[in-house]
Amino acid sequence: MTLQTWGRLVLVALLAALIQVGVLNDIVVGGAHPDLFLLLAISAGLAAGPQRGAVMAFALGLVADLFVQTPYGLSSLCYVLVAFAVGLAAGVPAGRAPIGFQLATALLGGVGGTLLYAGVGALMGQPSVPRHELVVVVAVVTAGCVLLVSPAYRLLEWTVAVVAGAHHDPAAFVSGSAR
Amino acid sequence: MAASRRNTSQRLTLVILLLASITVITVAYKGEARRLVGSVRNGAGDALAPVQRGIAAVLHPIGNLFAGMVDYGGALSENQRLQLEVGQLRRQLIQAEQAQAQLNQLQSDQKLPFAAGIPEVLGQVISSPSSNFDLTIEIDRGTSNGVGVAMPVVSGAGLVGTVISAGRSTAVIQLLTDPRSLIGVRFGAGNVAVAVGQGEGNPLQLQDVSEASVTRRGAPVVTSGLDTAAYPSGIPVGTVSFVRHSGGSLTSEVLVTPLVNFSVLQYVAVLQWLSPA
Repeated sequence: MTLQTWGRLVLVALLAALIQVGVLNDIVVGGAHPDLFLLLAISAGLAAGPQRGAVMAFALGLVADLFVQTPYGLSSLCYVLVAFAVGLAAGVPAGRAPIGFQLATALLGGVGGTLLYAGVGALMGQPSVPRHELVVVVAVVTAGCVLLVSPAYRLLEWTVAVVAGAHHDPAAFVSGSAR
Repeated sequence: MAASRRNTSQRLTLVILLLASITVITVAYKGEARRLVGSVRNGAGDALAPVQRGIAAVLHPIGNLFAGMVDYGGALSENQRLQLEVGQLRRQLIQAEQAQAQLNQLQSDQKLPFAAGIPEVLGQVISSPSSNFDLTIEIDRGTSNGVGVAMPVVSGAGLVGTVISAGRSTAVIQLLTDPRSLIGVRFGAGNVAVAVGQGEGNPLQLQDVSEASVTRRGAPVVTSGLDTAAYPSGIPVGTVSFVRHSGGSLTSEVLVTPLVNFSVLQYVAVLQWLSPA
């Protein structure tokens, strides 16, 4: 990834932290709130493919973990897997991901990412969440992902400087010249 | 051939990132690295605190506009004042009832410590937990205001939780409903037990309650302050909401509903009190 991509990723991460901590944390439905960093990890997989998407998701996870009290690195671990899986799936339709595909990956990524986070957290000794609460958390996080996936995807496209049809060309990523 | 090489490269990247994540988790789990991560987290909280306050100042009036179109500022102040008064009255009522029960059980000349005599630092809640798997809140007071780790936190109604992390201008409070929260409590006719959190919106569960313990629904539950407890004695925690004596067991199942409504918590007081431990 180019220096420009990293610079943009830092900006995106800071913006996400502000929105998550300042706004989304207070939008509580049934005790749960949307998770912007998980959405960005999904979008990174969509926009940058499995390899670079996973690298970006790792970095986003490290930033996300600065604002929670769960073990540091837990988000990175989960986001890497989510972004990689989404990136692999996004390799099937060529070119820019259509809106239907974005919504589908947001739906599956939201459910899978939240369950993965809860499962890995439980394995690491985090207090387990009652099943009915976990259902609410999954529903709220997934709804947030589905509602916001389009702007998040565009933001991550801007981050990796990708234009329609170019995001499967490795050379474009390496040079950072895909415009 | 090229596709195969790309797949290998992708898998290698995935393995490296997973190993890196596990390494970060392991390294940051304890020791010096854990303290470093804590410091960085506190720094991040401090850095965002002014923005959070600004956003809260902008967004809260917009929300309140719908609640009180006419004289909303006055209505808000009045409402907050009344909520505080109601909370204080509830706390006094619980304390009075508990004091009466203690008087019936203890010698009249026994001295009991009171949380009311402990210095307090008032703080505003500026953030709910960023993770859905985390029962914490963040307040706009930190070490520069005299807030320290392990200090108890109360609201007008009763116990809120304990400070688990403190930056210069912010602090993170673990709510008493967090499953990691353990509180020594006193209830009924001189019974003592440990109250354990069971997650948001769920009552606390009292552990190791002997079947011989006498209590009833609605009975007050306060912190015990016994030995090296993490909380001073006499802080109202909640009321008994469920009691079941099972025939074959030596223990009873007792649930406690917290007095504090965590979903509308705006202001809290950090008690400048540290456990003797």
